[in-house]
Amino acid sequence: MQDFLELTVSAAASGCIYGLIALAYLLMIRPTGIINFAVGEWAMVGAFGGYLLLSKFEWPYPLGMAAVLVFMLVIGWLTERIAVRPLVERGAPLLAPILALLGMLVVFREAISVSFAPDPHPVPYALGIQRQSFFIIAVTSVVFIGVWLFFERTIAGKSFEAVAIHRRAAALMGINLSRVTALSFAAGAGAAGLAGLLVSPNVSAHYLMGVPLAIQGFTALVIGGVGRVEGALLGGLLLAFAEQLTVRYAPIPAGYAQGVPLLLLMLFLLLRPTGLLRAK
Amino acid sequence: MSSLLRWLGAALLLAGAAFLLSDYHNDVYRKLLLWVTLALSYNFLFGICGQIAFSHFAFYGIGAYSVVIFLFQFHLPFPLAILLGIALCILFALAVAIPSARLEGFYLALATLALAQLFIVVLNEGGAVTGGPGGLANYKLPEFLGTRIRGPWYTAVIVLLLLGTLAVLWRLDRSWFGRACRAVRDNPEVAAAMGVDVARTKVTAFTLTSALAGIAGMVYAFVDNTVNPPIFGLDNAFLLLFMVIVGGAGRHAGAIIGAALLFLVPFVLSPLIGHHHVLVFGVLVVAAILLQPRGLVGLYDAIRRHP
Repeated sequence: MQDFLELTVSAAASGCIYGLIALAYLLMIRPTGIINFAVGEWAMVGAFGGYLLLSKFEWPYPLGMAAVLVFMLVIGWLTERIAVRPLVERGAPLLAPILALLGMLVVFREAISVSFAPDPHPVPYALGIQRQSFFIIAVTSVVFIGVWLFFERTIAGKSFEAVAIHRRAAALMGINLSRVTALSFAAGAGAAGLAGLLVSPNVSAHYLMGVPLAIQGFTALVIGGVGRVEGALLGGLLLAFAEQLTVRYAPIPAGYAQGVPLLLLMLFLLLRPTGLLRAK
Repeated sequence: MSSLLRWLGAALLLAGAAFLLSDYHNDVYRKLLLWVTLALSYNFLFGICGQIAFSHFAFYGIGAYSVVIFLFQFHLPFPLAILLGIALCILFALAVAIPSARLEGFYLALATLALAQLFIVVLNEGGAVTGGPGGLANYKLPEFLGTRIRGPWYTAVIVLLLLGTLAVLWRLDRSWFGRACRAVRDNPEVAAAMGVDVARTKVTAFTLTSALAGIAGMVYAFVDNTVNPPIFGLDNAFLLLFMVIVGGAGRHAGAIIGAALLFLVPFVLSPLIGHHHVLVFGVLVVAAILLQPRGLVGLYDAIRRHP
């Protein structure tokens, strides 16, 4: 029983991480249709931000966390400025910014691999090792409640939703499309960076940590459904429980648990391609 | 007839070059030819059919590993091992492509990313069958009709592989199927309205190019006479995509130029900047998409039109 409770808490914490990554995808996909595979690398950048500020410079945790968040917002905004806006303004096909962002993915990863040694870099726990899972769950809850309130209760949130439903109509209503796009990328980078910072004490910051997170986050998004903020969290939790139960109870090498996202992705694409929650 | 002569001339020229090169340069030349082959088939999938997939290099690996495992772990005859390897590639390709092609969007990209990641895990955890992290080594190309092909003659085999792949893709590109692929890339709705089965076209293009990558992998397996997980990692999948983008997506010449350039650049750059050439590639790709989406071939066209 003790064992099962521990598994539940740790799966819930991983589920929150996947949920944050899924949220990062969702924030960018909804208004722009652009799927940005660089979210995993953003999480990695966030983790290295944590290493630099919290481990190396020993800043107090809240200050370091806020600094990482602000830095990630700037990174997201800059990425949009460099790799997305020029293409959107030119009227390039949707594939072009996606490819440019793939290029940025490699730029981010290689920039980190050039700047830091290839071995894992430790990042401190927020409130000690036992409470990290609860800290992750708490921070994720705050983020999701905030984003949910933003979309449901504010005019700015409604304008995001309007752009998601019909770009041209939204533009005719006087919504500034490029501002919405810039904000969605900044917020996406913020969510992904936060996920990286939160997961890094357990896995250490490493320049190859991005791709698995990008796969798990997207799987969570497909499970939950691209249309709803809550879906991202639900999908993340489901994926994490499926993974952890496989590792714990299935008689296969632990590495094969990396096959769980692929399997779930295929199953959901076949059986329920709209995800569990439908868009309203 | 004249086109047949042209193919024959190209084969003689490319294969003849191998007999003039030293052992080391022959090795580099072989890998260059293999990269060009892969870039050509990837270009059909990405450039002509407009699908992003990260599994092309994994299928190269599946081909290489399967032929080695079938030959030397299960001791099957050579032709059977090749056929089973191709069948395996087709099976995996269908399993990934059929669910992904049901929806619009970039699900194939994600599914193939997960597949490529999983492939490396399976290789590392595979125990005696895959040889684990060390891979499989110490095997030799079986004798065929009493002779064993080696040295520059094996380079000639790779030249045949390259030209065979190019010929298949060339004919496909100019057929009904190639036009359907371009229509699916440019506008799926219009393609569907014209009677093209969009999902089937996507699945067929993906399966076909993945099988071609698998065949190239089988040839690769006897280049170094060793297969191990790091060779087939995700980095190379990205490199392949970058080759096609930088060279010019959708054009056979673009794939050839891009593959040759990005394969040879590290030989020039690494004395200057070590292993950081991938960073240069990333910047190059972003610049290419922003400034010249048609790649180097497009640049050449633009210069020729307005000298």
